[in-house]
Amino acid sequence: MKNKIPVIPYVNLANQWETEQQELLPVITDVMSKGHYVGGEQVTEFESTAANRFGVSDCVALNCGTDALVCALIGLGIGRGDEVITPPNSFIASTAAIVHIGAVPIFADVLEDQSIDPDLVEAAITEKTKAIMPVHLTGRMAKMVPLKEIAKKYNLAMVEDAAQSIGSTYNGELSGTIGDVGCFSAHPLKNLNACGDAGFILTNNTKIADRVRSLRNHGLVNRDIVEQFGYVSRMDTLQAAILSYRIRSLDKVIEKRRQNAAIYQKILNREFIYFPAQNPEYFDTFHTFVIQVNRRDELKSYLKSCGVQTAIHYPIPIHLQPASKSLGNGPGDFPITEKQCKRILTLPVNQSLSPAQVTHVANKVNEFFEN
Amino acid sequence: MSVRYSYLEQQFSGADDLWVQLKEFVATGDFTLGAPLKEFEQGFAALMDCKHAIGVNSGTDALKLAMKVQGIGVGDEVITAANTFVATVGAIVELGAKPVFVDCDDTFCMNADLVEAAITEKTKAIMPVHFTGYMANMPKINIIAERHGIIVVEDACQSILGEINGRKAGTWGSAGCFSLHPLKNLNVWSDGGVIVTSDDFIAHQLRLQRNHGLEDRDTVVVMGCNSRLDTFQAVVGNWLLPQTENIANKRIENAAYYDEHLGPISEIIIPPRPEGYKIVYHLYIVFADDRDGLLAYCQSQGIEAKIHYPVPIYRQPALDYLGNKEGDFPVTDAHTKKIITFPCDQHLSKDQMDFVIETVKEYFE
Repeated sequence: MKNKIPVIPYVNLANQWETEQQELLPVITDVMSKGHYVGGEQVTEFESTAANRFGVSDCVALNCGTDALVCALIGLGIGRGDEVITPPNSFIASTAAIVHIGAVPIFADVLEDQSIDPDLVEAAITEKTKAIMPVHLTGRMAKMVPLKEIAKKYNLAMVEDAAQSIGSTYNGELSGTIGDVGCFSAHPLKNLNACGDAGFILTNNTKIADRVRSLRNHGLVNRDIVEQFGYVSRMDTLQAAILSYRIRSLDKVIEKRRQNAAIYQKILNREFIYFPAQNPEYFDTFHTFVIQVNRRDELKSYLKSCGVQTAIHYPIPIHLQPASKSLGNGPGDFPITEKQCKRILTLPVNQSLSPAQVTHVANKVNEFFEN
Repeated sequence: MSVRYSYLEQQFSGADDLWVQLKEFVATGDFTLGAPLKEFEQGFAALMDCKHAIGVNSGTDALKLAMKVQGIGVGDEVITAANTFVATVGAIVELGAKPVFVDCDDTFCMNADLVEAAITEKTKAIMPVHFTGYMANMPKINIIAERHGIIVVEDACQSILGEINGRKAGTWGSAGCFSLHPLKNLNVWSDGGVIVTSDDFIAHQLRLQRNHGLEDRDTVVVMGCNSRLDTFQAVVGNWLLPQTENIANKRIENAAYYDEHLGPISEIIIPPRPEGYKIVYHLYIVFADDRDGLLAYCQSQGIEAKIHYPVPIYRQPALDYLGNKEGDFPVTDAHTKKIITFPCDQHLSKDQMDFVIETVKEYFE
C-alpha cells in the first residue's frame, strides 16, 4: 500500500481553535451567560480597541466586509448615477457594493503586483466620478501616494477596500486609515477573523461614523425614532468579543505569515515564478501569497498530487462575470487583469504552517519548473 | 417582585448540551454556509411544512431579499401595514419601491377590507405583517392578490408557528419571512433570519443573493450581497427547533391566563381572539384606559411593561417624503395611545403573572 501523503492545508481554522480554546471559551461563555446578543459593551469595546490600534477616531462594527463598503459609500453621500473607480480583479463584493447603492462601477486595470494602476485611474475620471475605491488585495497595499494625489486633485472621495489587508502599511501609513473610510472584513478566512461573518469601518470623520451607526440599526436614532431608512448590519456581540480577544494576537499572526512568505521569497525560482518584490516602503501582511506563473493549471494539479492545497483568487475577473453583463465591458478591456487570471496561483501561507511545510511547498513549485 | 422583559439569561442558563455542541462545532472551523446550517434549513422547512428554508442575516434581509428575487424594485408599490416595525418598510424602501400603507384593525394586523382600495397600477406586492404573533387575514388577502395578479410576501417575523385554520404563517404567500433575533420566539444568539418558500426558482435565487450571487466558488451570476445566517447560530437554531412548539404553547397558555384575569377589569380591553386563529404571542398586548399612568405605575413596581410602538412607522421622520400625516390611519393612531405590552414569555412564572395582574388591578382601584 502507498503511504498517505501528508496534506498541507490552505486553511486551518481547527488548529486556531485548538491553540486558543482555553482562553477563548470563557470569553464566549461570558457573552452568552449575560443574555445580551445584539449590541452591548462588547461591541463598543471592540470598536474602541480597533480605533486605538489603528489610530483613528472611529470604528463602526458591522455585519460583514461587504456591508462595510456599502455603508461607507452611503455615508459619503454616493448614490444613484455616481461613478466609482475600482479594479476588476477583486472579490466580487467591491463592485457589488457600488452596484447595490445604484452607483456605477468604472474599472481601471492593475499593475504587475495586482494593485490598481494610478495612471489608469486618472484616465477613467469623468464628470460623474465621485470616488475611488482601491483594493489592497492579498495584504499588499495599492499605490496610495499617487492615488491620494489624484483624489485631492479631482476632489474625489476615497474608500479603501482593506478587507484583505488589516495591519498592512505603505510608506508608513496603515491600510484603511488613509482614505475617507477604510473597510474591513473579519470573515473566518481573514487575518483577524471571527467565527462567522463580521466587518467594520475605520474613519476619522465622526459625521460619517455616526451616519453608519444609524444605518446599521434600521436608521433608528433612539428606540422609537427612524430618521432615515437603514439596514440591519450589526456585528454580533459574540463575534465582537472574539475579535477583541483575537486583535491582541494580530501582530503575531501577521509576523508568522510574513515569515512563511519570506521562505517562499527566498526559495522560489524567480526565473519561472513572479511575486511582488519586497520594497522597504511596503509592509505586506499576506492574507494570501499569490504567485504568477505559466502552466498554472498544470502546476495546481501537480501540487494537489503532492498534497498541497492551493486556490485561485480569482479565476474570472469581475468584468467578465455573468452578473456584470449590464456594465457593458467585454474580453480584452482589462488585459493585465485577464492575463493575470490565467497565471495567478495562491500558495498556502497560513499561520499554522511550519517552516518545513512552507519549504516543502516552495521546493515542489521549483521542481515543477526546473525538471 | 420584579417582572423582567428579557428572559434570555434563564433560557440559556442550563443549556449544557448546547455548549457541548457549540464547542464541537467551533473546532470544525465550518463557519460559513456549513453543515449545521443545511441541517437547520431542512429542519425549519419541515417545521413550516415547506419545501425550502433559506437562512439569512436578519429578518430585515429576509424581507428585502424575498421581494428582490421576485423582481420588486424602483417605482413599484408594495402595500403593507401602517403600524409595523420599521424593518418591513425599510426593506421596501431599500429596493427603491414605495410603501403604501393600510390601517390595521384590533388584531394589530392590516385590515384586509382596506387592501383593495390601496391597489394601483403600480402595485406589485402585498406584504401583510403578522404582527405581535397574530396573523393577518390571509384567506381574504390571498383572494385579493390573486384577483389582481400581485404577489404576497409575508412578514412573519413575529409569528413563528402562528396559524389560520391549521395553515402556518409564512406559507400563504410566495415567500414567508422570519426573524431569529434574540427577542423572537425562536431566537439565536445574534441577528438572524429565514425565508421559507415552496417555489424552487425563488429558493435558488435567494441562495444566490445571500452569497454574493456566486453559483459556484468562481462564477457570479447576479449581483448579490452577503447575508448568510452564521453557521454558529444555526447550531443554536438546531438546538431550539425541537422546543419551538412548546415555546408557542407555553405563551398561548400564559396569554389565556392573562386574558382570563385581566379581562374582567373594566379599564382593560382584551383584543379579539378570532376563531380558527392560533396566535403565538410574540407580544402580549392589551388596550388600557389611562395607559401612560398604568405604564408608569407598572414600571415603578418593577414590571418591565413596554409600548410597541409609540410612534407608528407611517409618521416617522424617515417617511416625511410620502406626505402621510397624523389621522391618516385612525386605528393605528388610536392604538398608540392605548396599547401596553406585558411580559408573556415561556420562562415567566405564575407568580410573576399574578403580580402583573394584581398590579394592574391595584392601579385602577
